[in-house]
Amino acid sequence: MSLEQLNSNRFEEIIYDNCEPSLVIFSRKDCHVCKEIVPMLEEMKPQYEGKFGFYYVDVEEDKTLFQRFSLKGVPQVLFFREGEYRGKVAGKVEEESIEEKIAEVLGV
Amino acid sequence: MNYPGYRQVSGPDLMKDFQKHAESFNVEFLKEEVISVDFSQEDKLIKTKKGKEFTAKAVILACGSEPRILNIPGEKTLRGSGVAYCATCDAEFFEGEEVVVVGSGDQAIEEGMYITKFARKVTVIVLHDEGILDCNKVSAERAFNNEKMKFIWNSTIEEVLGEENVEGVKIKNLKTGSSSELTCQGVFFFVGMIPSTRFINNSGIEMDKSGYIPVNDRMETNLEGIYAVGDNRVKYLRQVVSAAGDGATAAVAAERYIEELNDFHANVLQSDKKILLLFFNVLVNESLEFSTLLETIIGENSNDYKLCKVDMSTKKNLAEKYEIEEVPAVVVLDKGKVIKQLDCSMDKEKLKSQFDAISC
Ligand SMILES: Cc1cc2nc3c(=O)[nH]c(=O)nc-3n(C[C@H](O)[C@H](O)[C@H](O)COP(=O)(O)OP(=O)(O)OC[C@H]3O[C@@H](n4cnc5c(N)ncnc54)[C@H](O)[C@@H]3O)c2cc1C
Repeated sequence: MSLEQLNSNRFEEIIYDNCEPSLVIFSRKDCHVCKEIVPMLEEMKPQYEGKFGFYYVDVEEDKTLFQRFSLKGVPQVLFFREGEYRGKVAGKVEEESIEEKIAEVLGV
Repeated sequence: MNYPGYRQVSGPDLMKDFQKHAESFNVEFLKEEVISVDFSQEDKLIKTKKGKEFTAKAVILACGSEPRILNIPGEKTLRGSGVAYCATCDAEFFEGEEVVVVGSGDQAIEEGMYITKFARKVTVIVLHDEGILDCNKVSAERAFNNEKMKFIWNSTIEEVLGEENVEGVKIKNLKTGSSSELTCQGVFFFVGMIPSTRFINNSGIEMDKSGYIPVNDRMETNLEGIYAVGDNRVKYLRQVVSAAGDGATAAVAAERYIEELNDFHANVLQSDKKILLLFFNVLVNESLEFSTLLETIIGENSNDYKLCKVDMSTKKNLAEKYEIEEVPAVVVLDKGKVIKQLDCSMDKEKLKSQFDAISC
């Protein structure tokens, strides 16, 4: 299931206004590691339907977003809950680390 | 990415074309990580991380290579917070900043030059004496002429410093043994590639000390029915075009192997008659003469036996299976089981008498 791409406005709305517990992958088109992580997240998304949001930000299209989190590289998966930043994982991460981080953020 | 027929294409796009092409021949793709294998039986077993199991008569190993990790403090924890491995992915994040590049091979120097488009200064940490880089001469020349490129010789890095983000690196001079710190906001590691073959460490597959798999010109490894192609095998040039060539060779070799295997099962192991498995070699005259003699005896005798000739030079696997080292040699099989090995005498009567002994 493909991930919804967020621009700055949509990002505000989902992460800060709706306070949906979510992860957001910061990625770009010509990054080969991103190309491994994005499909993995797409595959995981259905299991978390209604519990945890999965979103996508293209750093080339939305520079303000990666500058705001002073990111130094892609891919990075950032986690949010109740409008608060709850940490990130970077690089070629395993499915397990994402699962663990989601559990941690949800406090289960 | 350079590949014949493509003037300009990115790696991922080229792979999409490869995949589409293969799918048009009904190749199935599955995205899973293989974590263990058992190659000790004729049916090879492959297990994935998600618990799936597959068996196959032949397996082609094409797991490529991955960037080497130095395992120094900060390298892992600051990944994505200043530690990076890909300039085209991440250089832009270091606009106007200071960056350290570790390594001096083609990739290190070329990607380092790319980073100078964004960073204010790029310092390359080089293992060797002043003036010596591992990369090609053209790149070295260009790098020396680039004002933003600096070099620290005879050195390596010991630690990436910083809490939330990279703040610097600790550099060790290999000649003097002394350490120093250099402030920077980014560290790019280009310290070479290692083959992704750790998951087959205990499979019995031979590897060199770096983990690359040696093969012969048919891409056969030391284990029957297992082939290795592309970047994970011992070879001179690691490119897409040579990897594809390896793949073609292994595919044909594996197909023939399976054909032979099936043939052997149908005609030899499941034969109603007793089988005389004759090992010969065209270069050994004695084995050819013996073959003629054996055929004469079988022709004269009843129809109890079927002769099956095995060319030692091409069917090494069979020779190994029956522990045959010299030709001529004859193994007598009954329903697939070895019941006798003949004494390959050129004396017709002597040879014949051995058959009588089997029959009763
Ligand atoms: C930065 C860079 C630039 C390059 N530029 C060029 C170029 O311009 N031209 C060129 O010809 N070559 C280039 N190369 C080299 C080229 O990429 C390789 O030679 C080629 O990709 C090798 O193909 P391969 O199939 O052997 O391995 P890979 O392409 O590395 O593929 C191996 C695959 O196996 C998978 N895998 C590994 N372990 C497992 C496991 N346990 N379970 C399941 N899957 C596994 C990996 O995920 C990967 O998908 C470049 C390489 C790099 C790093």
